[in-house]
Amino acid sequence: MDWNQIFQNTVRAAVGVDAIYFAIAALGLNIQFGYTGLVNFGQAAFMACGSYGLGMTAQYFGIGLWWGIPLGIMFVIILALIVGIPTLRLRADYLAIVTIATAEIVRLFVRSVKFNKIFGGTEGISNFSRDYRELNPFEPGTTYGFAPFTFSGYTLITVFVGWTLVAIFAFLVWQLMRSPWGRVIKGIREDEDAVRSLGKNVYAYKMQSLIIGGIIGMFAGMVLSLDRGSVQPDNYSRDVTFYVLTALVLGGLAKVSGSIVGSMLFWVLFVLSDNILREVTRNGPLRIGDFTIIQSTQVGAVNYMFVGIGLMLLMTYRPQGLFGNRKEMALDGR
Amino acid sequence: MLANKQSQNSFVLKLALALFCGVGLIAGYAGSAVSAAADDFEIIASVQNQTLVNGVTSRVPVAGVSVTVTKIDGSVVGLGVTDEKGLCTVAVPSRDDYAILIDQSTLPDGLVLIDAEKASVTISKDLFTTNTKRVTFFTGEGSAAGATETERILQRLADGIRLGIIIAMCSVGLSLVFGTTGLTNFAHGEMVTFGGLMAFFFNVTLEIPILISGPVVIALGGLFGLLFNWSIFARLTKRGIGLISQLVVTVGLSIMLRNIYLFQFGGRTKQLSSYSKQTNLELGPIGITPRDLTTAILGVIILVSVALFLQRSRLGKAIRAVSDNVQLASATGIDTRKVIKLVWFAGGALAATGGIFRGLDEQVSFSMGSDLLFLMFAGITLGGLGSAFGALIGGFFIGIFVEMSSLFVPSELKVAPALFILIVVLIVRPQGILGKSQRVG
Repeated sequence: MDWNQIFQNTVRAAVGVDAIYFAIAALGLNIQFGYTGLVNFGQAAFMACGSYGLGMTAQYFGIGLWWGIPLGIMFVIILALIVGIPTLRLRADYLAIVTIATAEIVRLFVRSVKFNKIFGGTEGISNFSRDYRELNPFEPGTTYGFAPFTFSGYTLITVFVGWTLVAIFAFLVWQLMRSPWGRVIKGIREDEDAVRSLGKNVYAYKMQSLIIGGIIGMFAGMVLSLDRGSVQPDNYSRDVTFYVLTALVLGGLAKVSGSIVGSMLFWVLFVLSDNILREVTRNGPLRIGDFTIIQSTQVGAVNYMFVGIGLMLLMTYRPQGLFGNRKEMALDGR
Repeated sequence: MLANKQSQNSFVLKLALALFCGVGLIAGYAGSAVSAAADDFEIIASVQNQTLVNGVTSRVPVAGVSVTVTKIDGSVVGLGVTDEKGLCTVAVPSRDDYAILIDQSTLPDGLVLIDAEKASVTISKDLFTTNTKRVTFFTGEGSAAGATETERILQRLADGIRLGIIIAMCSVGLSLVFGTTGLTNFAHGEMVTFGGLMAFFFNVTLEIPILISGPVVIALGGLFGLLFNWSIFARLTKRGIGLISQLVVTVGLSIMLRNIYLFQFGGRTKQLSSYSKQTNLELGPIGITPRDLTTAILGVIILVSVALFLQRSRLGKAIRAVSDNVQLASATGIDTRKVIKLVWFAGGALAATGGIFRGLDEQVSFSMGSDLLFLMFAGITLGGLGSAFGALIGGFFIGIFVEMSSLFVPSELKVAPALFILIVVLIVRPQGILGKSQRVG
């Protein structure tokens, strides 16, 4: 690998599948966290609803792939009711606690030996995406595009489908937030009691926001699993939510473009850091004298360390993100 | 600043990492390869006794076990008894479906099948990739599976009390920090991990016994808590950054610290060296190692002294006052900033203690604390967010509940019922057992 290659990988990451599914997940999380002020730390579980909705069509139900979408929506609604009913009347941090716990339990369930037949255990589910692959007009083995934007035909369809979904959801969120519904939602973030005193059912609005954000997040999981051709329980660990959150805060909360640009930027920075660190540790550990600074097995940890530091610094010094509006950052309005 | 302290502390941890690099678990069983004539098909049943000593699985063949091979319709094809290698070869006429059954009454005393449902194994003809098909049955010590219902319940209760003590100890700080500052600290699990990893550093890398290094680690844990407050949260509060934003900062802090631990310590779980090789004391029906008994007793002493401190001492009363109502406490002349510092110190020290105990009980890993975080939250929500006594009682109860529930649910899912408790508490009594009946929404 040389620097030219690193540059190409970095630029390609801005439009790759990772940025796409992060953007979709962030659009959903933005409705909940950015616009409504709901601290949903379990977006990974909503993503898993989508993936397992698709995967279980083949693994358990033996029905067509596209039934996965209504199935996933059903899972999302069930999950949102489980986490929402006890917490949405309470202070914001209760939702954070319950969503993070539920997401972890969901992951334990889908990877358990006990429910192996339904969810495929730790190996997950593969061989479900044939219907989707047959739609692919590109040759899977051929490389398309021009440098640095080169994708194999196998990936290219997901890139197209994914960005179409991003555009659809971005438009949807934008329209929703201009609507009377969106104004109530933003009102809840600013001052819940004021909205309640206007006769609005705040609880119901919060629940709707949680479900809509969850359904959008669900499509992120679908894009990921269709691209990988498999459903893996460990793709939906607790930390995935936090990485999406970091991307969201990076782009700017409560802003449609923020979710998209933030995700692109997150992956550009992540791939850049990852590629550079791998390059410097490629021929053995990086040392100064006898002191080993970093070796190749530690690259992953360092990347995520940067994510954590980035999230802390952003929340402290620029909570509105790179493009957000500070006025919209009324997370502690009440 | 945080990173500096980390790198100083963990520079020597690297040595420990080196020690452990390349140490892999080699678990395989010896068995002679049996070659068969071209057209003969045979089934080799192997019975192995599996024991777990210090985290390493070892397998010993079991001789003298009767094995029956039948066709699917039930007609007997062949019989055999395992030899000193634990093997029993039964010739079968053709590539077909067979059921292999072992007679559990012929197992040596005290041994039972690990998976009781697998006394009989069915193999289909597709599994004969060669002419020989090997089927292995694993047995284990009878204490867990062969024990009576009461003994199993008592054993789980004992395990639950140990886990409960650790969770109660770890969550006091979490609850008090919430009570005094309003901050929900998602990085609290990393404070627990800090205790475990520091104990590993002193105990294994520097070879200082736990009894001597323990107090040092606990003090370091307290300083670690102070460092959290001084370097981050006190400053954020001063800048006027709201609590939800601070909560997101704790998430960032948690990700950062966990990956620093991973960076230095590696992804494997490792064993503390002190007191790692112990045999069970039989206390009636319960088997417990002297180490676990000691940590349990020490744990109870620590929890009781924490409770007494909060109840009786002047500082303890000040902490509870601030936790109850910051403005009012401050108006009565309590230095709230000092109390908050004290809470961070005490919370960090208790979390580190919990980390050491957890490390002795189980093993040490980079995510040992964050794996417990959810149970801690369940505990303090049950006890009442912000109440120290609530954290003690709630955490203790959650520990017992989780271990007891593994009697009914598979052990890989034993934490799931804690979520159930969390949800029920939030619906029925969101302020928790000891929380004040106030509007929390």
